[in-house]
Amino acid sequence: MKANNSIVETGLAGNNGKTKKTINVKKSLAKFAVYFFLILVAFTCLLPFYSMMVTSSHANSDIARKLLLVPGREFVENYKRLIDTVPIWRGFANTIFITVSSTVLSLYFSALAGYGFSKYNYKGKNILFMAVLGTMMIPGQLGIIGFFKLMDTFNMLNTYWPIILPSISNAFGIFFMKQMCDSSIPTEILESGRIDGCGELKIFHRLVLPLLMPSLATLGIFSFIGKWNDFLTPMIILFDNELQPLPVMIAMVKSQFSTDFGAMYVGIVISVIPILIFFSIVSKKIISGVTAGALKG
Amino acid sequence: MKKWLSILFAAVLILSLFAGCSNSEKSTSSKDKKSDNKTAQKVEGKLTIWTFFGQVKDMAAEFEKKYPDAKVEVKIFPGDQYQTKLLNVLQSGKGVPDIFDLERGYIDKFINSKYVVNLSDMGAEDLVKDYVPYVQALGRDAKGDVRAISDHSSPGGFWYIKENAKKYLGTDNPDEISAMVDSYDKIIELGKKVNKESNGKVHLISHFGDIYNIEAYNTKPWVKDGKLTIDPAWKENYKVQQEIFNNDVDAKLEFFSAGWGNAINDGSVVLTAMPAWASFMVDNKDDKAKDKFGVAATPKGFYMGGTYRSIYEKSENKDLAYKFIEFIAGKEWQQHNLEATGNMPGLLTVYKDNLETFKSPMFGDQNILKPYYETVKDIPGLKPDKYGEEVLSKWRKVAGQGIKDKDDINNVIEKFKKEVKNTFPELNVD
Amino acid sequence: MRKSSINKSQFGFYFVVPYFITFLIFGLTPIIYSLYLSFMKWDGFSDPVFVGLANYTRLLQDTFFLKSIGNTLIIWVLSIVPQLILALILAMILNEKFIRGKHFFRAVFYFPNIVTPVTLGVLFSLMFDWQTGSVNKLLMGIGLIDDPVNWFNSPWLARLIVAGVIMWQYFGFNMLVFIAGLQSIPHELYEAAEVDGASRWDIAIKITLPLLKPVLLFTFITSIIGGLQLFDAPLMLGNGPDNSTLTMVMYLYQTAFKNFDYSYGAAIAYAIFVIILIFSLISIKFSKMNKVEQ
Repeated sequence: MKANNSIVETGLAGNNGKTKKTINVKKSLAKFAVYFFLILVAFTCLLPFYSMMVTSSHANSDIARKLLLVPGREFVENYKRLIDTVPIWRGFANTIFITVSSTVLSLYFSALAGYGFSKYNYKGKNILFMAVLGTMMIPGQLGIIGFFKLMDTFNMLNTYWPIILPSISNAFGIFFMKQMCDSSIPTEILESGRIDGCGELKIFHRLVLPLLMPSLATLGIFSFIGKWNDFLTPMIILFDNELQPLPVMIAMVKSQFSTDFGAMYVGIVISVIPILIFFSIVSKKIISGVTAGALKG
Repeated sequence: MKKWLSILFAAVLILSLFAGCSNSEKSTSSKDKKSDNKTAQKVEGKLTIWTFFGQVKDMAAEFEKKYPDAKVEVKIFPGDQYQTKLLNVLQSGKGVPDIFDLERGYIDKFINSKYVVNLSDMGAEDLVKDYVPYVQALGRDAKGDVRAISDHSSPGGFWYIKENAKKYLGTDNPDEISAMVDSYDKIIELGKKVNKESNGKVHLISHFGDIYNIEAYNTKPWVKDGKLTIDPAWKENYKVQQEIFNNDVDAKLEFFSAGWGNAINDGSVVLTAMPAWASFMVDNKDDKAKDKFGVAATPKGFYMGGTYRSIYEKSENKDLAYKFIEFIAGKEWQQHNLEATGNMPGLLTVYKDNLETFKSPMFGDQNILKPYYETVKDIPGLKPDKYGEEVLSKWRKVAGQGIKDKDDINNVIEKFKKEVKNTFPELNVD
Repeated sequence: MRKSSINKSQFGFYFVVPYFITFLIFGLTPIIYSLYLSFMKWDGFSDPVFVGLANYTRLLQDTFFLKSIGNTLIIWVLSIVPQLILALILAMILNEKFIRGKHFFRAVFYFPNIVTPVTLGVLFSLMFDWQTGSVNKLLMGIGLIDDPVNWFNSPWLARLIVAGVIMWQYFGFNMLVFIAGLQSIPHELYEAAEVDGASRWDIAIKITLPLLKPVLLFTFITSIIGGLQLFDAPLMLGNGPDNSTLTMVMYLYQTAFKNFDYSYGAAIAYAIFVIILIFSLISIKFSKMNKVEQ
């Protein structure tokens, strides 16, 4: 770091021939501008969340009339009105259940299939892999109407099956895990496992999965976020309020409390705060995961 | 050995995929067996009701009080997903409630479908013979049979804060105010005056859109014999609305927006056109709204919304369900409901019984049933059709935009026709 | 070694079978069923009736669907261009060595990305409500405007807000992608440039940008596939004046699940699919051209 700066300094100094002092001033001005910009953007990122928290603690009449900058004392009142009709914590638990089970399924089967595509040779493998890639092009909404009707004939409407089970077929996950298996699973390990008399599935569980853990963590973050935000499918598949995940409940809050801003804001706060806490704890992991995923994907 | 394992593995995978389906299929196969409808002497059994409206809970409680052997389970689905959910279960035939609530806005689709019981066959004509004509008519299908019944009517009026009315209109007497605003011309003139005297801070009405609500069922039906007809009244209304908008007669607060809700309580709007059932919009914490409000009549009578109840065609509890419908269509419940919530009855007889006596704390000494009764009994009774509500909402949207953009009426009509044609290609719009 | 690994190859097949079974059941069958429905007339209240291509001919004359395509593309462009520029600038700043608190800034910029779009849509619709929203109050508070602005009354303002929400949600993600791209540029290049006495600005313009061009292009082009499927957040913000923020998928949703015109909705789904397919093919062609260039 030091070395770098000094190179630029000498570079600038050489070009302009000014004294070191003015350069320092210039440099700290530039630094200041850069930090100012960063802080400004950070501010716009956080402002809506701050505003949401402040507003949620005021009465409707104040929300409608005043610019609110400091927290008020009506949060509990607003919360009570919200809870009266929308079981938002239940929605939270539902979302966690759906997201965790989908992510686990998705990770396991993506790894399995990615491994199957990476380390084995069988007839039609390449065609099958191309087929997997091809399915990535299909937009999610294409089959949604047929999906609804089909789940009806399976008697799966109003259950979690149609939301969780499709996670098994995660085309991007397979593609990603195949790349990972290609690069980070040495074939020798598999051979040695076979010599020890391990079954193929056992090899996968005992030897391959542990090696894939870092990549699974990366993929897991993607699947988790994607599933956490899932809105359309649960909205049309689930009827019971008790079963709805959080995003659907938030949409419900909006249509139900069209004039009750206080209750709506509380609903939003409840949906954001836990993510905020979770994120601030594991943000390093998430960000490095996304960065790694971006490089590979 | 290993081959065996792999086959087992594949089998487990496939089985696990289908486990979900096979289980639930078994559990529903017995569902179609219809229980024979032996009329029980005792009113007992268990009913499920689906609704979007919280107050149905009280209805169920009162019913259980009257028939202690009956049990009513109410499931409330708040928000605009209710309709979709209801249709979904009706289609699949699984988990359908015995009774379901239908909102006036989409009632036609459901009561003209195969999913609802013909209540006329069960004797419902008797229940509704003393009903407000328009409430009765809305529950009838295309053939004229009763398929849904409401327990209330939803007449609207101009609500006002008395103090405010005195200040800006010079009186808080409902009859005098009704007379001051019995035509749109008078509203516009009065509105200009209020706007001027308050330096633009206070407006006479909330929104030019109130005119749609008032005119909605006082105009000719939008679709007749597959043809779109635009009542010429809408052209005149458009002019009226332009006047209202351009002269700031209205506060530009759309019906049921947050600002609108706020204006009812803080008085920045003098006359709020709203239905009787919307009293929950009034901030009545610690009885602070006691004796605060008055109701005056609008230029023409109007109603808004309405919750209707139908029985599921394949319900196993039709008799009990009918008992419930009978209960809510009866005097006893409607009287209770009027006293408890201020919701207006569906029975004209309940209106008449309370005309001189019923008072609501919020409205002090005013006999609030009077202005409603006068208007509600004359609202024309029209059967709901597939198009009315949706076409009206398109008109609201297109004309509303036109007024804001100061657009010519003919342009608006062209745009409107285009939208209608697009959603209902089968209609003749020219 | 008792058996060579070649004999195990059938296991690879078993391992990919679950994917295909699940896809067949939950992916392909619904898609085919939707195709079947698109040739029917079905409103959910009565039984489906075969109508041939009627839904598709109706679609061709459907000005609202055409408009929704235009809206979707406009909103996409309005959100992606500033989004990529901002992401790029931030990525380059945060890649500088002298910046402190890198992790904090990255985390803050990325945070909007993990908030559910529905939540964001509701939050912003509340904040931009022209009578009660905090944006107008704030602007009036600082004295920028005298009267509240009715944001959702002008088609372009409404689109800008929708685009703004999307930009706000995704710039952090793209920034991370760019940082990853920046980190993969070999250090020797920078060092060589520095030895040559190039200024930081020169390095950014002459080395970093050209090397980052493939990543930039790739992000731009691939984002259109997601952009064409915009739904959750715009749905919460509403159709906008004159349907100016009605996106394609919103139109699909409203037709099928609000007006219960399931069969026409299925036809719309197929039309959206064709549009996305066309753009996907274009994007594949672009990325191939890109590879050839390199």
